[in-house]
Amino acid sequence: MRHTTAVVNRIARIVYSSPACIRRHQSTLPFRKQLKDEAKLRKAQRGLINDKNPENDSGEDWELTVGLEIHAQLNSERKLFSSALTSITNELNSHTGLFDLSIPGSQPLLQKTVLLPALRAAIALNCEIQLESRFDRKHYFYHDQPAGYQITQYYAPLAKNGHVVLTQEDGIAPEDYPEVRVGIKQVQLEQDTAKTIQQPPDDVLLDFNRVGHPLIEIITLPHIHSPQTASACVRKLQDILESVNAVATGMELGGLRADANLSVQQRNTVGECSYSGVLGLGQRTEIKNLSSFKAVEDAIIAERNRQIQTLEQGGKIEGETRGWTLGSTETKKLRGKEGEVDYRYLPDPDIPPLLLSGELIEHLKHTLPALPDQQTSYLISSFDITMKDAKTLVSLDRGLRLDYLAEVFDILAKLGHDSYKLGRTASNWTLHELGGLLSTHSVPFEANPVSARALAEIISNLQNEQINGSGAKTLLSLVFAGTERNIDQLIVEHNLKSRNFEADEYRTIASQLLEQYPKMAQEIRNGKTGKLQWFVGQIMRASQGKMDAKTATDTLIELLGI
Amino acid sequence: MSLLAAVEASLKHGTLYKASNAFVQWTDAGYIRAAASVADKRCSTGHQLSPIDGRLIAIKDNICTTGLPTTCASNSLKGFQSPYESTVVKKLRAAGAIICGKTNLDEFGMGSHSTNSASGAVNQGTGGELSVGGSSGGSAIAVASQQCWASIGTDTGGSIRLPAAYTGTVGFKPSYGMISRHGVIAYANSLDTVGILSRSVKDVQQVFAITRGHDTWDPTSLTEETRTKLTSAAKARPRRPNLRIGVPVEYNVAEINPTIRTIWQQALERVISAGHEVVSISLPSTRLALSTYYVLAPAEASSNLAKYDGVKYGNAASKPKLEANVLFATGRGQNLGDEVKRRILLGSFTLSASAFDNYFLQAQKVRRSVQQDFNAVFGIPNVLQESSAANPEGVDLLLTPTAPSFPPKLASLAHYTPLKSYGDDVLTVPASLAGLPVISIPTRTDTFGLDTPPGSVGLQLIGQYGNDDFVLDTAGQLETLLWNR
Repeated sequence: MRHTTAVVNRIARIVYSSPACIRRHQSTLPFRKQLKDEAKLRKAQRGLINDKNPENDSGEDWELTVGLEIHAQLNSERKLFSSALTSITNELNSHTGLFDLSIPGSQPLLQKTVLLPALRAAIALNCEIQLESRFDRKHYFYHDQPAGYQITQYYAPLAKNGHVVLTQEDGIAPEDYPEVRVGIKQVQLEQDTAKTIQQPPDDVLLDFNRVGHPLIEIITLPHIHSPQTASACVRKLQDILESVNAVATGMELGGLRADANLSVQQRNTVGECSYSGVLGLGQRTEIKNLSSFKAVEDAIIAERNRQIQTLEQGGKIEGETRGWTLGSTETKKLRGKEGEVDYRYLPDPDIPPLLLSGELIEHLKHTLPALPDQQTSYLISSFDITMKDAKTLVSLDRGLRLDYLAEVFDILAKLGHDSYKLGRTASNWTLHELGGLLSTHSVPFEANPVSARALAEIISNLQNEQINGSGAKTLLSLVFAGTERNIDQLIVEHNLKSRNFEADEYRTIASQLLEQYPKMAQEIRNGKTGKLQWFVGQIMRASQGKMDAKTATDTLIELLGI
Repeated sequence: MSLLAAVEASLKHGTLYKASNAFVQWTDAGYIRAAASVADKRCSTGHQLSPIDGRLIAIKDNICTTGLPTTCASNSLKGFQSPYESTVVKKLRAAGAIICGKTNLDEFGMGSHSTNSASGAVNQGTGGELSVGGSSGGSAIAVASQQCWASIGTDTGGSIRLPAAYTGTVGFKPSYGMISRHGVIAYANSLDTVGILSRSVKDVQQVFAITRGHDTWDPTSLTEETRTKLTSAAKARPRRPNLRIGVPVEYNVAEINPTIRTIWQQALERVISAGHEVVSISLPSTRLALSTYYVLAPAEASSNLAKYDGVKYGNAASKPKLEANVLFATGRGQNLGDEVKRRILLGSFTLSASAFDNYFLQAQKVRRSVQQDFNAVFGIPNVLQESSAANPEGVDLLLTPTAPSFPPKLASLAHYTPLKSYGDDVLTVPASLAGLPVISIPTRTDTFGLDTPPGSVGLQLIGQYGNDDFVLDTAGQLETLLWNR
């Protein structure tokens, strides 16, 4: 904005730093691999924590209770209270309005378009949207907060009383099977803070591009009783927010941050504390700023163990705020009760109440994109895709993979195929064959060179037995490598068309091979049937992969008399 | 008289009354003269931009201007150059007005005598070292001593009206939301109102015509739709041949100086002689209004002033103490004045978790009953409040003194407790809490032939919300009634 230039320059001078500091890490790690790696790490970490905390076994005697607060950056073009554009990777301090920098005399101007992603999120989380909500100032002094307060919705939030249901497939802990329902107390709009960039040895630089970026805070009720389920809950919330296009980036890019509050109490006893109307809990502590799913789970495990150990040694849990660093095995105290901040909430005198119409909410409800669970069950029921693959498809590449598969189905239907019958095959080729090529060559899905039409035609040819499996793979590799020929041409040019071999032709090749390797044939007759595959492979090789593996196997069995 | 000649006269008065310390910053005199000549040329060729074209207007220094620094008379904003111009100043410049400088005030608008200033106290400049009132004291004395034609001030709890009464000028606080606050540095947002000081009601009306209007940059600015509603509500005034003026019994507080009380009574008699009706009415919550104001305004101030940390603009601490891992405290301690600190502390307390319900929430409730009191006595309803209905027996306007006393000597203020200073706002605060349009009209003891030392007295005329034009029109009539001997 032109008229803030003078001030911005001044700030830029104070806080100058290399733009490389804020370049975001672009993750191209396939989802499955990420899951696997995290599971591996989790296992290792558990072992570590178990070793250090022998009393972990007594987890049986104690019940853990967890509530979560999730801060998610809304997918919004503008800031919450200024018309400045939001920015994630732009030049430092280039995206700020007067109000974002707290220039004297400037006032908050609520950007109405910001409401849409927030409302979509609240609806997707089954909340009651409040037709009147208000904004309050939460005061604290910190260098990343230029006004000395953050504008949030403390007294009258945007949405209340929602819930999210977590199932076995969401990765909840076995003791929570078949499902857990986690209540959502409220969803509120608020401002993000400036970004602090540490400049060793002891300079602290500030990038105000992030200040005023709209966030939603999702506060769950203390309805979670396992670290694994807590982590699954955060992941599920992220999936939901992504599916309704409420957030631009997930936890891996800093678009989502979580705080966890937790308490333990001995089973079959009633604690003295209550939080958000949930009675009978123990004294809780809060862990701030957890920035990965793994951090959520590990921090909760560590803090649970600390609380149990403290109580078993006759100690007392203090209501305090604690921190967690990735890779550590214990939480650290940040501030205790005496250091607690009194936020002195003040209804913001400049911002009128936010009034929404019932029609707007209804319209948004009807036009909401399908939620992950709905998409998953649709994939299973309409295309006979396995639960595992359906889940993966839904959460992969922010829905792009699913869009791609849908296009493949459309083309297959036009080519006269039954989508239900071909569902598994098509999903398999999209996820595993194509996915394998993408990850082997480190190509992100956005740059996928295989058009949906090409893949559909490959699958169609395979289904019509014009080509066989290995021919189909060859075709896919050719298209992936960037050939300009169409599928039909490729089949001819690379001689991939399968033809129907007569039973005699199978017998001729099979008997030739059995004569050539009599020793091996005898071993099979003696019971080493595993070696049969070797002969099948030889037949396939002899026919340049065009013979059918099953017929070849059957022929061999017949000739060997086994 | 040409505009340039008027400007020369003002510049001369600027020198003559330099001791009043009305200005913290003057615009370059060469620029002022050149602008006046250009305006003269426009007027002589029939291209006058507006009735205020070429007029000298002074701006209270808590309103952002490009070209001149904006300091709020605070060391925390010493030398602060705003990157943008306030809407009110933009509108004045577009109408041809010449901004002649920035006027002195109580730091951030907190005070009743314009003495809490990093630029030094303001006085009447007549040798008696009299208070000019506050916080828009610089704006008031600049007008009174003819250093400018009119000035812009802000009124949060009486900050335009009290100085107008003390300096013998006309001071108008419009309805909340009439003039944009974009670029007005907040003291207490829900009360801060931009207003006008001048030497006649007619001049106020001309400046108001230019400065009023919706502004998308100010979320509390009245929309065009609401303005239309207010205009039609004002027309629905009960049909009566003459005015019905209300006198709130609760305003007759013991603190009112006997001479001021006499002038109030005699003014009412003149109103009756002019054929109008005067009725006694009751505003029961008035007694609580002052303490309510001193809970709400400091609460908002404590929040609004949190931004002055010396990091982004203004002054940082000269020797920050970093050992306690506290970055801002030293600078804020050094750069904010005692009264500002007092109100920040008050506000921080009333907003704290343990005091919020007993102080802040209670004060908000009282504020609502103050508004309801006013709605109950006026003939036309308050458009912004659904529960407010028309009252055929209601009054058109209220007439009360503006200040309970004559301007004190600055020397005597040293012995004032903060509480006594706050007492000077007892008559102005209720209308602020309700956001009503009020104008303080000056009169003098000698006009009424009283056997007392000569002195200025202000009487304020209060109207229903949005009834600004009616308040101004009636003030024009009253002006004549009060000035005729």
